[in-house]
Amino acid sequence: MFKKKKANAPAVGAHRSKLITRPMRKMVWIFLIPTFLCFIIGFVWPFASGVYLSFCEFKLIREALFIPISKVKDVFVGFSNYVRALQDPSFRKAFFYTAEYAVASVLIINVISFFLAYLLTLKIKGSNIFRTVFFMPNLIGGIVLSYIWLLIFNGILIHYGTYLTENATFGFWGLIILMAWQQIGYMMIIYIAGFQSVSEEILEAARIDGATKWQTLFKVIVPNMMTTISVCMFLSLTNSFKLYDQNLALTAGAPVITTAEGTQIKMTEMLALNISSSFGKINAWAKGTAQAKAVIFFLLVAAISLIQLKVTRDKEVQQ
Amino acid sequence: MASISFKNVNKTYENGKTVIDGLNLDINDKEFVVLVGPSGCGKSTTLRMIAGLEDLTAGELYIGDRLVNNVEPKDRDIAFVFQSYALYPHMTVYDNMAFALTLSKTPKDEIDRRVREAAQILELEEYLERKPKALSGGQRQRVALGRAIVRNPKVFLLDEPLSNLDAKLRAGMRAQISSLHKRLGTTFVYVTHDQTEAMTMGDRICVMKAGYIQQYDTPQELYNHPANLFVAGFIGSPQMNFINAEVVKDADGLALKFANSILPISLESLAAYEGKKVIIGIRPEHVKVSAVPALFDAKVDICENMGSEKYLYFDYAGSRLIARVPSEEEAVVDSDIHVDFDRNKIHLFDPVTEKAII
Amino acid sequence: MKATTKADKIKAWALTIFLTGVSLAWAMPIVIVLINSFKSKGSIATETFKMPTAETFVGLQNFTNGITAGNYNFWKCVGYSVIITVLSVSLILVCTSMAAWYITRVNSKFAKLVYTLCTFSMIVPFQMVQYTLSNTANMLHLDTPYTIPIIYLGFGAGMAIFMFTGFIKQIPLEIEEAAVVDGCSPVQTFFKVVLPMLAPSMISVGILEAMWVWNDYLLPYLVLDITKYRTIPIHIQYLRGSYGSVDMGASMALIILALLPVIIIYLFCQKYIIKGVAAGAVKG
Repeated sequence: MFKKKKANAPAVGAHRSKLITRPMRKMVWIFLIPTFLCFIIGFVWPFASGVYLSFCEFKLIREALFIPISKVKDVFVGFSNYVRALQDPSFRKAFFYTAEYAVASVLIINVISFFLAYLLTLKIKGSNIFRTVFFMPNLIGGIVLSYIWLLIFNGILIHYGTYLTENATFGFWGLIILMAWQQIGYMMIIYIAGFQSVSEEILEAARIDGATKWQTLFKVIVPNMMTTISVCMFLSLTNSFKLYDQNLALTAGAPVITTAEGTQIKMTEMLALNISSSFGKINAWAKGTAQAKAVIFFLLVAAISLIQLKVTRDKEVQQ
Repeated sequence: MASISFKNVNKTYENGKTVIDGLNLDINDKEFVVLVGPSGCGKSTTLRMIAGLEDLTAGELYIGDRLVNNVEPKDRDIAFVFQSYALYPHMTVYDNMAFALTLSKTPKDEIDRRVREAAQILELEEYLERKPKALSGGQRQRVALGRAIVRNPKVFLLDEPLSNLDAKLRAGMRAQISSLHKRLGTTFVYVTHDQTEAMTMGDRICVMKAGYIQQYDTPQELYNHPANLFVAGFIGSPQMNFINAEVVKDADGLALKFANSILPISLESLAAYEGKKVIIGIRPEHVKVSAVPALFDAKVDICENMGSEKYLYFDYAGSRLIARVPSEEEAVVDSDIHVDFDRNKIHLFDPVTEKAII
Repeated sequence: MKATTKADKIKAWALTIFLTGVSLAWAMPIVIVLINSFKSKGSIATETFKMPTAETFVGLQNFTNGITAGNYNFWKCVGYSVIITVLSVSLILVCTSMAAWYITRVNSKFAKLVYTLCTFSMIVPFQMVQYTLSNTANMLHLDTPYTIPIIYLGFGAGMAIFMFTGFIKQIPLEIEEAAVVDGCSPVQTFFKVVLPMLAPSMISVGILEAMWVWNDYLLPYLVLDITKYRTIPIHIQYLRGSYGSVDMGASMALIILALLPVIIIYLFCQKYIIKGVAAGAVKG
């Protein structure tokens, strides 16, 4: 993203030279094929068959995969899984819940980490220790992290005669606090790198021009950090959308309410958790529908990534 | 025997760009040949073809008597010094120099002997255990040379090895490389874009432009008898002066007319040019300031005092001219001077073919 | 330099004190768990924020209970987590750096295809492949801690290859040409010249992948036979799942045991970890 263009690239092929390439070509079996095979097992095949299964109705995977082509029409159901997925109230609830959560967490995490990063670049005593402490939660896995906070939240709420999964609002803000604790240190590191990339000379020029500290921050530093800011915004946005472990371990979607039609809806369930648990259902169309949800989810995440790519590319052009 | 010989060599890159076209070049055993020219002239490609870093599209390349078109670089008995030095950053100076020998399974004590010998020649003994990062530019340059020396190759290939050094170091390294050549007694092929390096180091210089050899001769011949306008302008500093002129008939024979000046010239081969345009070339040191009115008068525009000599800049006949005169010369900025040319040192070029007439 | 006035000094001190407070608050959750891990299970839920008293202090009892909680020895989880992480990360580092070198230096259609697929795989969330991937893994019998690294290599290859190609493009080609002139075969060029130069990026990629594999829950949960093989996150989630019989004391002890290696490694290599994570963010 921050790659610098080489001022005087050598006249002869920049990343390639026949001399190196020619003997390498014969070594494709050593260098590339093993990784590629694992990549097929671990990604290409699961992805492709996943897209295919989202158009099928089946109970066991062998009813839909590895069958003669002539029998595909027996399981192929077109877009009906997608229709079912979009009509599923729990999926819709999970979508809006995720979106709400994403907006709140992106704002909170980025504002706090931006200012912490700013404070830590002011060359005060102990800033290395502070950095170490703030970053540490990022290393703790989602499951373990959630139990730490579960203890704390319930330890507080017990004094008010309630508990975390009783009220969806508790669950929502609980997750925000938890994620802020985990992500702020991480984003802060990226923001610190951004602050350090603003050249000393620009800051000195601003001082000579008579800018106050706040003016320097918002009129000089922030405009020069737009790439970093958009990287962090999108990182926290995709993190919010993909969130699974913490959601599972903190509330697992509880509390559950039952609608008038008798459907059960989990009040704090996010998209990833909703999809994962959909695969566990056993009705005839459950797996196909879950897979259709997964495809929709993928398209959503891919769209965010593509927008991010475009935004950062545009930023690069401007600079 | 390590002569090098190109026979009708072509080089076209995958993108269809031809950089070398019909190259014929013979380099003698133990000779120091400099390939010089502006960037993109094909000099680096030529050198890389000798090393085997580039394939030939057509033609033949011999090292000694052996056709090497399809020989791997490591089997060509050459050593290559890269512009960026290309030292292995994770190895010590010692390991950098020993690497090729280690790969060819040379005995340990033999490696040690050769590395220490090279280190001694290049005064690198105290740095053998350092990594390249901890060395200065000049030291890195010497390690790159040392890496070549230990392999004891028949041919040394050097690709702009001094271009990353500052001016003072460069002058010192020039002398060091020249004496290395004498000491090792092997063939050296040296690529540079700097004509000073070419003039000071080469036994012979091959001036290239746009994939073609312009002239291939000793430094003195290149200087005294440039084959064409390009070589005349490329070799020598400050550059040769060029003036557009016309060949006219004079009372005594032929003369060159430019602006209001008439320069009589007695040359039979010029008869064919009567009434036509030519380009006069005259080196700055052959432009004289005369005490009495001479060829023409001019007003000095800029005067650069170099201490030992002065460069006077002035305009005449639509050209900017430079005269290189002793520093005792009184002329300063704005002074009017009488200018004369050393008549025996005039070069004439055909404006169409750009070739030398005399 | 700017002259430091008295007011500036006071401000700097105020800031340090403020940040010290925030840091202490930041570390507090872990401290609370640590304190509770020494308290009796009954008192943890009701008196979460109190220091242990003579009655509630149980010494290392929670730890001894925790090790065997859920009829599964915790050290086995640690063992499997370590095995899976070490094998996966080593496999990923070696294989993807080789692949990335090939892709960068060889301009073939196949290399370009692999690279495009890799970049594409980075934007695919795990839920998209969770069902089909776990089926494939079971079908191919990749469901043990010793074979699951192949899955991790497959699913994690995208980001690693993407990062490595970025690093390799910054290596000057001349060094590899020098290696060839010195007589290296491609395998020698890679292992003797390119790989050592990639060391710093190996650390970055290694740390990112290790954090992912070590903390990953869903993939091993779906692929492994969890009656036999449990990683730390799987075991902790499993204990919580067995409702009614949650021993809070044992849980606290296990959380501390799970955190301990991470925190120790972090304190020793924090410079590399922070650098690696930042590099990953900027590249990804």
